[in-house]
Amino acid sequence: MQIQVPEERAGQARRLVELVAREPFHKRSWAELAYFLASSALAYTAALVLAVLGVTGLALTVVVVGIVIIAGTLRAARGMARWQRALARRLLGEQIADPEPFNARPGFYGWCRASLGDRAAWRAIAYFAAKVPLTIFGVWFALSIWVEALLAVASPLTGRTATDTFGLFGRVISPGYNGGPGPGSAHLGVFVSGIILLLLAPWTMRLVVYLDRRMMHVLLGPDAATSRLRSLEESRSKTLDASTETLRRIERNLHDGTQAQLVALAMRLGQAKEKLDGLAPGQRSADLEAVQRLVDEAHRGAKEAITDLRDLARGIHPPALDTGLENALATLAARSPVPTEVAVSIPTRPSPAIEAICYFCAAELLANVAQHARASRASLSCAQHGPWLRIVVRDNGRGGATVNGNGSSSSGLAGLADRVGAVDGHLSIASPSGGPTAITIDLPTHS
Amino acid sequence: MAATDAPHVIIAEDSAILRDGLVQLLTERGFAVTQAVSDATSLEQAVAADPPDVVVVDIRMPPTFTDEGLRAAIALRRTHPGVGILVFSQYIETRYAAELLSGGAAGIGYLLKDRVADVADFVDALVRVAAGGTALDPEVVTQLMGASRRTDSLAGLSAREREVLALMAEGRTNSAIGNILVISEGAVEKHVANIFAKLDLPATTTDHRRVLAVLRYLDG
Repeated sequence: MQIQVPEERAGQARRLVELVAREPFHKRSWAELAYFLASSALAYTAALVLAVLGVTGLALTVVVVGIVIIAGTLRAARGMARWQRALARRLLGEQIADPEPFNARPGFYGWCRASLGDRAAWRAIAYFAAKVPLTIFGVWFALSIWVEALLAVASPLTGRTATDTFGLFGRVISPGYNGGPGPGSAHLGVFVSGIILLLLAPWTMRLVVYLDRRMMHVLLGPDAATSRLRSLEESRSKTLDASTETLRRIERNLHDGTQAQLVALAMRLGQAKEKLDGLAPGQRSADLEAVQRLVDEAHRGAKEAITDLRDLARGIHPPALDTGLENALATLAARSPVPTEVAVSIPTRPSPAIEAICYFCAAELLANVAQHARASRASLSCAQHGPWLRIVVRDNGRGGATVNGNGSSSSGLAGLADRVGAVDGHLSIASPSGGPTAITIDLPTHS
Repeated sequence: MAATDAPHVIIAEDSAILRDGLVQLLTERGFAVTQAVSDATSLEQAVAADPPDVVVVDIRMPPTFTDEGLRAAIALRRTHPGVGILVFSQYIETRYAAELLSGGAAGIGYLLKDRVADVADFVDALVRVAAGGTALDPEVVTQLMGASRRTDSLAGLSAREREVLALMAEGRTNSAIGNILVISEGAVEKHVANIFAKLDLPATTTDHRRVLAVLRYLDG
């Protein structure tokens, strides 16, 4: 052990040296340099065009034309932001999502209003405005080092002995060898400095590009409201799917269960009625037995239909929930064919939607335990932790439950994950093959 | 008709309770239920093995619970044109009715399941279909009339004539229409002639040809 530590240190040091030595020859360093040059050119062009257009527009605001020019400027800013994102994607591999789409009402005034109020365009202008000083900083701090490094490394061929005095290098570093002793040693000094600068250059450039990346994410991507909106839209569509699926299931149950029961019931009563109608008064006792049988069956059918309807109604909204989750979960566990322990600790009642989701999750998980887990015992716990409600269902069965697996329980779990995700909750599964299984669901208490 | 006088029936219905109820009801009413199956594939096999006079088929059956029964009915129409088909469903869909009737209305029935509650009417409809007639649920007729693109011409009919047309489309004979509307058969004949004249349809005597004509018109 005592020997290994220094070895490890040595290994780390070697790797660091390798990293630094290789960096100037790495593709990404050159891509960043290219990006800096191209995006600086774009930023200066954009800043110039936007400034000229904007000032012209402002000067003419008294006439309506000025406002139109400003609106056009904002549209142009949006377009240039798109080029900027494309440039970053192409050269840096940086994925910046498009901002909210430009959404104008029909007509000229609608277009003007939407353009003037286009947050994405104003943010794009802010980006290009901030990009100009960043570019100046980048030239001084990073580009100068690249240029000087390349010139100095080439000095043995060009016979160069001194440096230009621009940028960080010119002001701070170059005095170190600018007035070196003799011509020969000056040559060597310049070359060695060039090598050092070459190793340094990618890192200073990386810092500049990093700042630019952050700026792009903040100013050129969708703003926080839009991002939130998108994720809300996504979860809303999932909720919609889930509720459609629920309605479909209810319809299926009605169709196959209750409706068929009632049709059969009506059919039997119809038969009984015909028999009664068809009997001559003196004859009644002869066919009475048949009528008795039909009425018996109809009666049984009516009771089955009532049971079916009750189960169905429970599936739509469990009446037990009206008195709180604690009772509902206890009832649920008591109905489960696998002996299930319950522990519920919820000091304050969550919102009804959360209660319902919690109940259905517990119901689905217990049903899974009964159908797939081959467990002899299970437990259901539901406890409040601050703003979160945590439901855990454990069983001692065979395990192997997954959301994406191909087991028959998987679609149920995927459905649960969607439902839970729709209210910003989480579902996690710990179910090694051979068991035991623990499925944990966290739900916000209010949604 | 098959060799014996009792019409032979095959039932395809996935709900066991309804299937058993139907078997019991039809047996009691003098039909010979040769097979009762629970899905479309078994129905096709059963018909191929021993073609009955009529099949009663549920539209929604396993495996997908969409329109298996209807597909089977249309296939049977092609392979066994002599077998009457009574489609039996909890919903009426105009599209299904149109598809079913596109090959002609002879030996076709389409009824809501509720209709079994009126046993006599249901049995009557099944007998009609077994004999090559037509039995359409009043719902089907209403929907087809509603979906018709020629409502302008229908608007030219009197209320009584519309009633007669609807009953004709259900597959009723003139005397049955007379009984239902409590008018004489002669009065019905007059209405029918008026309808044919107003709708520009050639008059014929056969029941199902009347239905076919009416449906062709409605569909047109």
